[in-house]
Formats: sequence, structure tokens, C-alpha cells
Amino acid sequence: MSRRKIRFKINGVEKTVEVEPNKTLLWLIREELKLKGTKKACERGDCGLCTVLLNGEPVKSCLVLAVEVDGSDILTVEGLAKNGELAPIQRAFIEHGATQCGFCTPAFLIVGHWLINRNPNPSREEVVEAINGLLCRCTGYKPIIDAILEAAKYMRRT
Amino acid sequence: MFVNHEGGHYLEALKYVGKSITRIDAVEKVLGIAEYASDIELPGMLYAKLLLSPYAHAKIISINYEKALRVPGVVSVAVGDDFPFRVGLYVNDRNILARKKVRWVGEPVAAVVAEDLEAAEEAVELIEVEYEPLPAVLDVREALKPGAPLVHEELGEYAHSPAFNPIAGTNIANRFTLKKGNIVEGFNKSEVVVENEFYMPQVSHVQMETHVCIGHYMADGNIKIWTSAQSPFTVRYILSHSIGVPLHRISVYVPYVGGGFGGKAGINFEPLVVLLSKKAGYRPVKLELTREEHFLAAPLRQGFYAKIKTGVTKDGKIMAEKIFYAFDAGAYADYGVNVARAAGYSCTGPYYVPNIEAESLAVYTNHQWGTAFRGFGHFEFLWAIERQMEIVASKLGIDPVEFRLKNALLPGLTTATGEVLREDAGRVDQCIEAVAKELRWGELTPTNDPKKVRAKGIAALWKAPAMPPNAASSAIIKFNEDGTVLLSVGVTEIGQGTVTSLAQIAAEELGVPIEKIRVVPFRHTDLTPYSWQTVASRNLFMEGRAVIRAARDAKEQILEIASQVLRAPKDDLIIKDEKVWVKGRPEWSLHLKDIVAGYVYPNGNTIGGPIIGRGYFVGTRLSYLDPETGQGYPALKWTFGAQGVEIELDLETGEVKVLKLVSAFDVGKAINPMLVIGQIIGGGIQSLSLGMWEQYVYDDKGRMLNPNLTDYKIARAGDIPEEIIPIIIENPQSDGPYGARGVAELSMLSVPAAIANAIFHATGVNINDLPLTYENIWKALNKKR
Amino acid sequence: MLPKFEYYSPTSLSEALDLLEKYGEDAKIIAGGTDLLVSMRDRILKPKCLIDIKKIPELRRIEYKEGVGLTIGAAVTFKDILEYPNLEKKYRVLWEAVKTIGDMILRNRATLVGNICNASPAADSAPALLILDARARIINKNDGVREVPLERFFIGVKKTILKPTEIVKEVFVPEPPANCYGKYVKVMRVQSEDLAVVGVAGLAYRDRGDLIIRLAYSSVAPTPIRVKEVEEVFKKKNMSLDEKIEEAVKISSEKVSPISDVRGSAEYRLNLVKVATRRLIKELVEVV
Ligand SMILES: Cc1cc2nc3c(=O)[nH]c(=O)nc-3n(C[C@H](O)[C@H](O)[C@H](O)COP(=O)(O)OP(=O)(O)OC[C@H]3O[C@@H](n4cnc5c(N)ncnc54)[C@H](O)[C@@H]3O)c2cc1C
Ligand code: FES
Ligand code: FES
Repeated sequence: MSRRKIRFKINGVEKTVEVEPNKTLLWLIREELKLKGTKKACERGDCGLCTVLLNGEPVKSCLVLAVEVDGSDILTVEGLAKNGELAPIQRAFIEHGATQCGFCTPAFLIVGHWLINRNPNPSREEVVEAINGLLCRCTGYKPIIDAILEAAKYMRRT
Repeated sequence: MFVNHEGGHYLEALKYVGKSITRIDAVEKVLGIAEYASDIELPGMLYAKLLLSPYAHAKIISINYEKALRVPGVVSVAVGDDFPFRVGLYVNDRNILARKKVRWVGEPVAAVVAEDLEAAEEAVELIEVEYEPLPAVLDVREALKPGAPLVHEELGEYAHSPAFNPIAGTNIANRFTLKKGNIVEGFNKSEVVVENEFYMPQVSHVQMETHVCIGHYMADGNIKIWTSAQSPFTVRYILSHSIGVPLHRISVYVPYVGGGFGGKAGINFEPLVVLLSKKAGYRPVKLELTREEHFLAAPLRQGFYAKIKTGVTKDGKIMAEKIFYAFDAGAYADYGVNVARAAGYSCTGPYYVPNIEAESLAVYTNHQWGTAFRGFGHFEFLWAIERQMEIVASKLGIDPVEFRLKNALLPGLTTATGEVLREDAGRVDQCIEAVAKELRWGELTPTNDPKKVRAKGIAALWKAPAMPPNAASSAIIKFNEDGTVLLSVGVTEIGQGTVTSLAQIAAEELGVPIEKIRVVPFRHTDLTPYSWQTVASRNLFMEGRAVIRAARDAKEQILEIASQVLRAPKDDLIIKDEKVWVKGRPEWSLHLKDIVAGYVYPNGNTIGGPIIGRGYFVGTRLSYLDPETGQGYPALKWTFGAQGVEIELDLETGEVKVLKLVSAFDVGKAINPMLVIGQIIGGGIQSLSLGMWEQYVYDDKGRMLNPNLTDYKIARAGDIPEEIIPIIIENPQSDGPYGARGVAELSMLSVPAAIANAIFHATGVNINDLPLTYENIWKALNKKR
Repeated sequence: MLPKFEYYSPTSLSEALDLLEKYGEDAKIIAGGTDLLVSMRDRILKPKCLIDIKKIPELRRIEYKEGVGLTIGAAVTFKDILEYPNLEKKYRVLWEAVKTIGDMILRNRATLVGNICNASPAADSAPALLILDARARIINKNDGVREVPLERFFIGVKKTILKPTEIVKEVFVPEPPANCYGKYVKVMRVQSEDLAVVGVAGLAYRDRGDLIIRLAYSSVAPTPIRVKEVEEVFKKKNMSLDEKIEEAVKISSEKVSPISDVRGSAEYRLNLVKVATRRLIKELVEVV
């Protein structure tokens, strides 16, 4: 199995690494780059906790091959806060109690962030649709939905 | 309302307690930097992979792992006989890896340890095991029949705690019995007698984080463990007991836990990784279960069967109840025995029943092993009791809300164990009434579609922590030199948010702003003060009291010094806003920071020293229960509540939508209302999910058919009711911290029964078996037709 | 983890076909990977080589030509389909079916052609494609393109007529009948997201006043199936509409052959076929 050199940008930083074809993007992020914010909870597309933005769109990174991201731009939870300042979605999650055990939080943040940047005035239904691919066993989702709607408000204000 | 129950120095509005401050761990969590066990990597670390049994019950004839050892990168392979130790919290029945025989499909039979996971995965497929299948018991009632295959032939030899009663030569891991009043007389006085059976399948916690642990048996004989466990002290204790290494040589480190719900209480895979580490040459070994392994090999919630006979008078007074509960404990019941016990002593639900005879069994089967799961014992039996209450009410022609209120267990009445409910206990009647009111009980909502009906259902609940009488908690408050505070407690942060509430209590007690208090974010048994376990909704109550005591201990030490410096008697001093003041003389004061590391006079003379406050708490006058009658005082506190739903049911497909979910709990005092509401909503949805969809589907060989999240469905955002209403009721309990009681488990106890009760109102059809899948509902409706 | 394999990402179709010719059975095409990678992780498939078709520009094409039809390239994702202008109106039944597949994040990667090539009985896009008379355009190195109606494409559970050296280049969906109305009903175990317990696609329109109804199903037979016999019923003259509907329900329930699995029993599925068919036809008739 031949290793391949890939180049990509992650959270604004250029990287060049060599990977084997059978490694997933999730593996690249957690095991190679040691960015541990992105979580793994099923590795078969069901839980969505491995979700990151790939070229601006959310993908479940356990179902993307690392070799496929050559030339791409990736955003993970670690890239949300800028210069020590929390992103609106992060502030809203804190204020609405949208994190409990926190294991699902990075994925919900990424999708919430993506949604409110694309659509600063989402309806409740649109929020539900956006996060339907993600699982949370603690919060019952309501605080998460409320937090995303609130974050959209922050966005509209600024 | 606030009762100054602890005799504080003065009465004043609370500054932190009762406020919805944001979680103290939230920033770490939204930054993605909160540490979980799976994120931890150590130098020289090896990876373990398990080989799981394909049989429910089979003799292990031989294991050949020659080929596995030859895979490049493989360091070691272990099988059951390498680790001749048993572990167990209450009953010492569990092997580290299967020995002699396997007891469920999924029991770990061998483990490969390798330099990387890929090698371990490759090697594990090359292990050859020869089995001789044995007859398996796959049903709890079958397991009780005479002549049923025995899951544990050696049950009589297992060590166990005195509170439990395993019966050698049977599959009964624990038999709990209870007798109150006179059951014969009770039924004689009854005018209506109703008997029903109920059932609940095994279900999984589905914590988003699977079980993860790293063990390092070090060459000097010390042992280090990093684990996603709820109860580090239990891990340490049981491991010590099992392998004979004293406690001071074992350190257990627990970072944030990505969901526990009881599944990570007790001890799980920690002994395995520790022993693998030793076998692999004293290098650290990490085991992280995949989701499939989590479904197949990790402990779950036991299955449940109930038979309840209730005698009532025509005007709706319960006179007698004969109860039989049998828990499908699976292959091991080391923790699971306590589930049957807990269900046994709470068996009636939140109702006054003068005459009771109850038997509650934990039964071994060749199903996956069971353990604690949020509200254990109670989620199960309340399904049965709250359905039974509904059926009885309808037989009597009494409104089910009225029937429940009529029999509500109120302060002054006796529980099933003969405990007189304390005068400041919570009020189940108020919870039921609040839910009924919010649901507009009695008002019907018509539907436009003749194929659909709407209806409402209610169910009540109660629970006390299921713990031994000596379960303890403790807390340490350390002042830093600058007057900031480190609070250290043994309760793990598994999502429930207890530590935030504890920080609020500490801030309130110490008169220090909450921003200046940091709760140590990890647990490390070498440094962390003892806590029995993080389970049972006991920790806010018990750690809360321990924190209050630690704060007062620290304050006492501070006042001692301040009294000398300020030349004023201690009882004339108060601590407020980070200062010690002479009452009425704000100009005579000292900054805390000038005292907490020792007070230095201008000439250098120093008095006092670093302030470290400590406090502990154990339940007051809790007792073991009588082995025959089950009478005694098991309960640190009872929390009461009620839950109700409004549903829409499609009569042709069985599809049910919960439109509204209402839950009310008497929490005594909400230390942090936002966190309480978070528990109520989260637990409510978990309960709905478990009740409607979740189950281990087994084939006739005992193989789980849905060991993944594709086919084991849990609630998603698109499944939650449009309206979710949490209601907090506050009747403070005087020995709780600021009057508080626990709520975390309670939040999930009665939604399934409420939904089934609503279906009953909609259609007259009683469904007594969970889950309430659309198909099961359709089948039940069809049977009626 | 995934078993080991070599990875190729050709940038032209001919390159991809060469690779297929070379590796044959040992190669698998990867589009979105949402089926393939899961099967590989489960060790059901262990291909020696994966050929990623996402970098082939002509396969990324989605195009609707008025009066002709819709062409969906093999690398076109469900998201691309949902966002393509006017499809929601023009190909409503297909659009609705696509919208039920997995979740929004999955649809960013998963492809329609992958959905049919995977040939699961539960493929949600298939019933809609069947009643729209869709055709798969299949290509290999030596014989050029052949066009196969979707009805002949599926031959069993996870089995198609594709040979190891062949690629489905695109799916072509002809212009739907004028003024037609279509709908996809997917019954799941939960409200939110699931594979279908039963899926029914229906299309109705009037041909010179005569009511025409087409129906197809997923998850109730070894392959997604169109029940053509139903179409004859609505052409009959001496029956009331209600009678026709009941006749259609009867025929459909006879033509399907559901099995029992973790998602539902055969018995329940049969009931759903009846209920969903009846409801669906009634709704369709009300609109057209
Ligand atoms: C979480 C989750 C939820 C899902 N929910 C649904 C659902 O609700 N409904 C549903 O129908 N499906 C569902 N699926 C299955 C899957 O997403 C769909 O079948 C999807 O359309 C597959 O497309 P893909 O591009 O990912 O295919 P791939 O996985 O890339 O390929 C699938 C198969 O087709 C072959 N193949 C792909 N393209 C070609 C080609 N051009 N020529 C020849 N062979 C080809 C591949 O070799 C492979 O064998 C779900 C999957 C997941 C993981
Ligand atoms: S880990 Fe990727 S979806 Fe679960
Ligand atoms: S907060 Fe625990 S899984 Fe979502």
C-alpha cells in the first residue's frame, strides 16, 4: 500500500503529510494531526460527531478518505475561535446550556456555525434539518436548537 | 424561598445558589480542548483489540493464537487463563477474559496487544478458538425454571457483599424479599383485584463516548489507570481487591467523561488493560471500544419482567399489592444485583400501600451482562407500576390522576420498607397536579384526520439513591496565596454538571466570587478526596453537604487567624466579599488573600498557614434492610416527580408522535435552574427514546442483530416533541444542601408509561411490553380488532 | 479501520475505464463512499483497489433539458440534485425521495448513481427513478455506452447487471408527463432519519382525461420494484375510483414480497404497503 503525499489547509494552516490510502479524514485529524476536538463515536456515518467542514461544507470525516482531501480546506472545532475570541456559536452554546458531557459539542458547533453563516435567519425546522445527522445522548437537543437560533441572532446583530 | 437550615451567621439573599450561571466546564468544551480518555496518548503506548465470543453459551475447548503472534507489530496475546482473577462490585462473579466457557455473544475471549491498532485488528482475526456449544438460557423466566442450564455453576463459591443473596445451584444472582403489613388481610379487604404482567427488553446506554481506558502496570509495581469511568475510587478498590495490590499503589485518573448514565459506574475494562500492560512488558495499553464492541461487549440495562397483583377498594384506596420482579441480568451481575434490590425496596412506586409482599430477582441468563443505568430498577418497575395504576383506575372507573392523588405517598406515611416519610420530603401530589394542569388534563384535542387520534397520559415516579449505607463523599477546599480557591471533589463530570452547582455552593459559603473558584477538572485518586461513586443522583446532595462542611472548616481556620489579627472574638466576625470584617465595622477588615497563606505582621512574625478546608458526608441513620422482610431505612432522600405527554397516534400504522412532554420534579431547591432544566429535558428525551425505539434485538441463538446506530435507533433532533415543558417544584429538604435533592436520574423514569397510558386512553388498548415501536403498537391495535 | 487498498483518482473517464479493465474484480468504484466504506469497515468488502470517480469532470454533470430530460452524472451528489433549479417542481417525486435519504450532511457526499449501483432493496431514489422510466447509461472500455432501463438494472439484493469492468456513467430521467404530480412516502421506525421500512413512490397524470397512476416500492422485495399491473387498473372503465384504488392496493400487496428483519416484520410491511398505497393514490388523485 503506497503512501501518498497530500497538501491541505486546516484551520488556516497549510500542511503536507504522507498518508496511506486506507486512512480516513477522521484518522488524519485525530491521529496524525493530533487535533482531538473532533470526535469518533461510530465510524460508519451514523453519529455525525466526526463532522468537519471540507471546503466549506459539512462532511462526516469517518466516511471521507484522507487521500481525497489533497488541495482542500478543512475547518475543525479548534478553528472556530479567532485570536482567543469565541465564535458566536460558541458563546450561544455556553449561554443556553447546549453542552453537557460535551462529547457531541464540537460537531454541533461546526454544523451550527456552517448553518448560520450560510443562512443568518434559519427557521427552527432548518436548524433541526441541519443537525439531524448528529447524535447527542445528553441534552435532548432542545438547548442545542435554541443555542443555534440564538447564535444566528448574534450574527445578525454584528 | 430559602430556609437557612444550617444555622448560618446571618440571613441574606443568596448570591450564587439558585442562579442559572453557565457551566464552569463550558468554555473548555466549546473550544474542543476538554480532555476525554480517548484523547490521551502516552509514550510507548500499545493498543488492544478484543476477540468476542460468537456463542451465547459454550465451552472453550482450545485457543490457538500462534498466527496472531506472528503479525508484525503484535506484542502479546492474552486469554482468560492468563488472568485468574475475578472482579465484582457486590458479587465477585466476573472474569477478566472468559475462562473455561463463554456466557454471552460478545464476551471477550482473547485480547491482542500491538504497536498499532491496525496490527491488533489484523491479528485478532487470526486467533482460532474451538468451542463446544452448550444449551443457553435466553429468557429470564426460562432461567428460573428447575433444570434450566446454569450460567454460573460455581455461584456458591463467589464472595459477595452481605446485602445480597445469591442462591447457589440456581440462576438467581440476588433474591430480595419484602413483607409489609398483612397481605392476606389486605386482599380480603379489597373489592377489586387486578393482576397484570409487564416486560421490558435490554437496552444500551449509548453514551456517545464508548468505553476507553489505558492501563499501565509499571515495573516498580505501581499501577496507573486513565479511564472514562464514573467512579475512580470503585475502580481502584475493586482492582485492588481482585489482584491483591494495595490501594496506595494504584492511581486512577478520570478526565471528562463523554456520557456515563451508569454504564461506566462500577468497574469495566480497567483490570483487563492493567493486566495486559503487565503481560506486554510493563508498557501502557489502551483499549477503546468501537461502537459495535460497545453494543456487544459493554454492560447494558437489564431486561425486566414483572407480575403485579393489586387489591383496591371501590372508592380507590390501594389495600394490598403482591409484586414479582425478575431482572434479566445477563451473564454477570456483579453490579446488577443491586438493580433488583433497588426495585425491590421501592417496588410500589410513589404510593402508600399498607400491605405488600414483594420478591425481586436478579437472574443470570446468556444475554449480555447488565449494570447500572440512570434510574436503575426504577425505570423498569415504574413502567410496570404506572401502567398497572392506569389499568386499575380504569377498572374502577376513576380518573387516573385522581386515583394517583388518592394513593399518593405523602409525608408521615410509610414506604414499602416501613420508613416514615420525613415531614420535609418532596411532594408527589404537587408534581402530579402540576403536570395535569400543564397538559390541560381532561380537555380533548380533536384531529381532522379520522385515521389519527390524540390523547394524553400521565405517570408518576420516585427514587432514592441505591447505595450502601456507608457510601461517603468528601471535599477539599484549598486557598491559593492570592485568595483564589481550588475546590476538589470526587464526583466525576459526566455531563450532569454537578461541579458547577458545587462551585456555586462553595462561592456562597466562602463569600468568594465564583470566578475565583476553580473546580479541579479531573479526578485522580492520589489527590482527589474520596467519593464512593458518581451514581444514583446522590452527588449534589452528598458532595454538596461535604462542600458546605469543607467551606465552614476553611472559614473556621480563617476566623481563627483573623480573630487574633483583628483582636475581635470569632463570633463577631463575618466573611464576605473576600474580606473578614468585624460586624458593623467595615473599616476593621482584612483581605482573605492576606490570611489564607498565613498572616504576616509588619515585622515578619507570621501566624496561621495555608488554609485547607475539608468536609465529608454520609447519610444519616441509613440501615441495611432486613433480609426477610426488607424493612429498614435505605433512602438518603426520595425525589418525587411526574411526567405526562400528549400524543398523536396513527391508527393504521401505529406511528406515534409525542407532541408535548411535561415533567415536574420536587427538587427541594434548584441550586442552578438552568442545569436542572437541562437534566429534565435531556433525561425526558432519553426516556422517550428508550421507551419508543430502543431494544437489543436477539436472534434465537442469542446474537444481537442490531449492534450499530443504524439499527439501534436513538432519538435525533427530528424526533423531539414540539413542546417540552420542565417544571421545578421546590419543597426544601432540611438536610440537603440549601434544601436540594437530586434529579438527574429522575428525569427519565416515567415517559414510556405516560406514552402507553396515552395510547390506552386513545384506543382502549393496553400495551404492557416495551418498546412502543410503531410496529408493536400496530400489532397491539390489530389484536384488539 | 479499513482494510488496505491502493487508491486511484483518475481525471478522465477513459483513465478510469483503463484501471477497471486492469483490476477487474479487485477494483471498486468509489463515489461518495457512504455505502462502500461502511461495507469495507465491516470487512464485507476487501477490494485491492479503489477508483475515485469524483475528479472526472464529465461525471459531475447534472443537466436538465426542457422536453428532453434530466441527466445525472455518477459523481453528482444528492445535495447537487436538491439544489438544481426547478427540480423540486419538475421531478417532485424524485426530489422528495432524495430529500429523505440519510441526513443533510450525508447528502453532501452520497450520490444518486451510488445509491442505485449499491442496489440495496431500500434504495430510496430507486422507486422514483423506476416510475419516471429512468435509464442507466453504462460504459466500459471496449463497447462504449449502453442504455439500460432501471427495471432491468437491479437483479437481486445488492446485485445489478453491471460487470466488474463497467461504470454507470450517468442516469437519464426522461421528461415527465405534462402536469403530472408525484410523491414519495417513506415509513421509518422513527420520525427523524432511517432507512425505509417501506418506501412508495407514486406518479399521477391525466392522458386525454384518463387517469394514469404509476407506483413503485422499496424495502419490500429483493430489489426496488415497480408494480406495472396497477397501471392497468386505472385504465379500466366500469369501476368506481374507490374500487380501483382497492384493486390497486390488492395488486400491490400481492406483488411485493417483504421479509422480516430488524427494521420490521413482513406482516407489518405488508400492512404499510396497503395503507401507504391507498393514502398515496388518494392524495395523487386529489391533485391531478
Ligand atoms: C448514515 C447513513 C444513512 C443512510 N441513509 C440512507 C437512506 O435513507 N436511504 C438510502 O437509500 N440510502 C441511505 N444510505 C446509503 C447510502 O448513503 C446511499 O446508498 C448513497 O446513495 C450511496 O452513494 P455513494 O456515492 O456514497 O456510493 P458509494 O459508497 O461510493 O458506492 C456504492 C456502491 O456503488 C458502486 N458504485 C458507485 N458509483 C458507481 C458507478 N458510477 N458505477 C458503478 N458502480 C458504482 C460502488 O463501487 C459501491 O459498491 C445511508 C448511508 C449512511 C452511511
Ligand atoms: S464517527 Fe463519523 S459519523 Fe460517527
Ligand atoms: S452533550 Fe453529551 S452527547 Fe451531547
